[in-house]
Amino acid sequence: MKKSSFPKWLDFNAMSSFERVTLLAGIVAFLLGLWGLYTRLFVGEREVGYGSYVVWGLWVTMYLFLAGIATGSYILAAFEYLFNIPLFKGVGKSALWAGLVTMPGALASIGMDLGHMERIIKVYLQPNFSSLLAQMVWGYTLFLVITVITLWMAFKQKAGTPADGAFKAVLWIGLVMSIFLSGGVGALLGVNASRPYWSIGLLSVQFPIYAFASGVSLMMIVVGWFLGFKDEKQREHLLRWLGWVAIGLSLAKIYILWAYLSQGWYSNLPGVIDPIREIMFGKYWWYFWVIQIALGTLVPLFIHMTPKLAHNNLWAGLTGLMVLTGFAVARANIVFPAMTVEALDGLPEAFFGPHLSITYYPTLLEWSVTLGVLGGVTLFFLLGARYLSIFNKPSEVK
Amino acid sequence: MAEAPKDVLVRMRDDLQRALEKAPGDRRWVMVIDLRKCVGCHACTIACVAENKLPPGVVYRPVLEQERGTYPNVSRMFVPRPCMQCDNPPCTQVCPVTATYKNAEGVVDVNYEDCIGCRACIVACPYGARTSDFGYTYLEELPVLDGAIVGRVTSEEYERSANYEYGKEYPRLNHRASPIGNARKCHFCLHRIHEGELPACTTTCIGRATLYGDANDPDSVVSEMIKLPNVIRLKEELGTEPRVYYLV
Ligand code: SF4
Ligand code: SF4
Repeated sequence: MKKSSFPKWLDFNAMSSFERVTLLAGIVAFLLGLWGLYTRLFVGEREVGYGSYVVWGLWVTMYLFLAGIATGSYILAAFEYLFNIPLFKGVGKSALWAGLVTMPGALASIGMDLGHMERIIKVYLQPNFSSLLAQMVWGYTLFLVITVITLWMAFKQKAGTPADGAFKAVLWIGLVMSIFLSGGVGALLGVNASRPYWSIGLLSVQFPIYAFASGVSLMMIVVGWFLGFKDEKQREHLLRWLGWVAIGLSLAKIYILWAYLSQGWYSNLPGVIDPIREIMFGKYWWYFWVIQIALGTLVPLFIHMTPKLAHNNLWAGLTGLMVLTGFAVARANIVFPAMTVEALDGLPEAFFGPHLSITYYPTLLEWSVTLGVLGGVTLFFLLGARYLSIFNKPSEVK
Repeated sequence: MAEAPKDVLVRMRDDLQRALEKAPGDRRWVMVIDLRKCVGCHACTIACVAENKLPPGVVYRPVLEQERGTYPNVSRMFVPRPCMQCDNPPCTQVCPVTATYKNAEGVVDVNYEDCIGCRACIVACPYGARTSDFGYTYLEELPVLDGAIVGRVTSEEYERSANYEYGKEYPRLNHRASPIGNARKCHFCLHRIHEGELPACTTTCIGRATLYGDANDPDSVVSEMIKLPNVIRLKEELGTEPRVYYLV
């Protein structure tokens, strides 16, 4: 057979079918994103759907989502290395690598949302630490550094040996940061008394749960589709448990949603009840009922309870993908609807112009950039993991 | 013979001169809007757009039209809404780079060179008083016809030439040039105030419904007004301490 001129990690023929499909999907997404990335960088922000009333849109949602995956993945890795939880054995490096590539994706997404992204350096040079945003930028930068160190230490760690003192210390720092940072993005919204829908106390506490659930769902995809095991039984075992954790967290999400929405509904405050109406019965109803509830929770539950499907790698990965999508939409349903409420009675009708609307749908430019970012993250994750032999190595678990 | 009472605009200009003799920290600029006198002509909105060369999508002082009651007992009210220049502004503490802050005179400024355009301040403002500049010009869609005077070239030049907010020059050169990409808001026309001129909205108001001055001066028009029992401030329950008062 002719030897490929590509190194093994780049060699298409050496990839599994799941890897090939993911690679192609990543390339297509990235290519579709090129137009958006070019337009955003060289033409500006004019073609976006958000504006002065619905201030943050898809890109901020993607930032919350990808940052959530990063912190959630770290929590998962900490569970393996720090607490030796058998349930999560074997996913540590993949989880850390996932965190390391999704975090820059999150930052790229929020960077695109800045009117002057070239000035981001100012957040480091002249930070205002009473701003949650400044705290998050600094926090996530430190978190990235901690993740790099953790991954490096995980590679140095001998298979099967418990984490040593220095590794444990780093993991503890990373774990505490993950919990605070994932909650912090909720607080970023929740501190705004101007948006009563966000000011319900439950808002920021749900974010760490969302983050962990996102990390777990991503690992379902990784375990189902990519990770190599010496013994297929181990994959099956991991998938079964990861699936139950993901579904358990999705059900917890529904419970929190119920508490959040019913409490808000009961208060009958216009700033609270109007977004809830929009989410449940208004223009965002299908995001909520179809994607968040049905596709993100009920279908995965059905799949997981059907033994034939649950034991199939393809379906297990798809379940992870569905739960993950559900959690992405959960973030969207927090971000947009709160801003579709008039700040003052009659404000949207008082002056007309571009980006002065309380209706929001992401535009082609926003979707394109998002696809580009997701495509980039996917490619970086897959090829990087292959380069670092994260998938290929047999798991350390006996 | 008794002296004829001065027009309120003349009085306010006199108030302004007195205030400018004080140290900046001793002035307390406030705006009073008499809702009973506002006829909803939107002249102040347009004056503000012209003064600050605001592009499409950016507005500092819209006039909200609100209906009260149910037919046949309905009334219509016009509520001009500038930035409230809150004394406890939620917009400043969320800014990651302190690009927006309360200046020495108590007016909330935006430093366009520092602003990264994150729009956190827009989210935080309970009054919807900030808008984002996405870089439009009003006449950019007009065709340029050979031999016909349609004015696009001249108007483009005018729209792209500098405005003088905050006493600085901000030409609209390209999508990276501030104030494009920034959060923008009413600044009580401080660039005019420092030249001894009242804010553009105040001088333009045909009903003399908008009043401006130093509330630390007991003889000023605004001091008289904010003592009245029929004075309110918007969303006072949020503790923002607005400096814009409404007479109802
Ligand atoms: S009205 Fe809004 S923009 Fe103006 S000072 Fe108050 S919070 Fe800030
Ligand atoms: S948009 Fe500008 S002024 Fe507003 S919070 Fe962000 S950096 Fe500060």
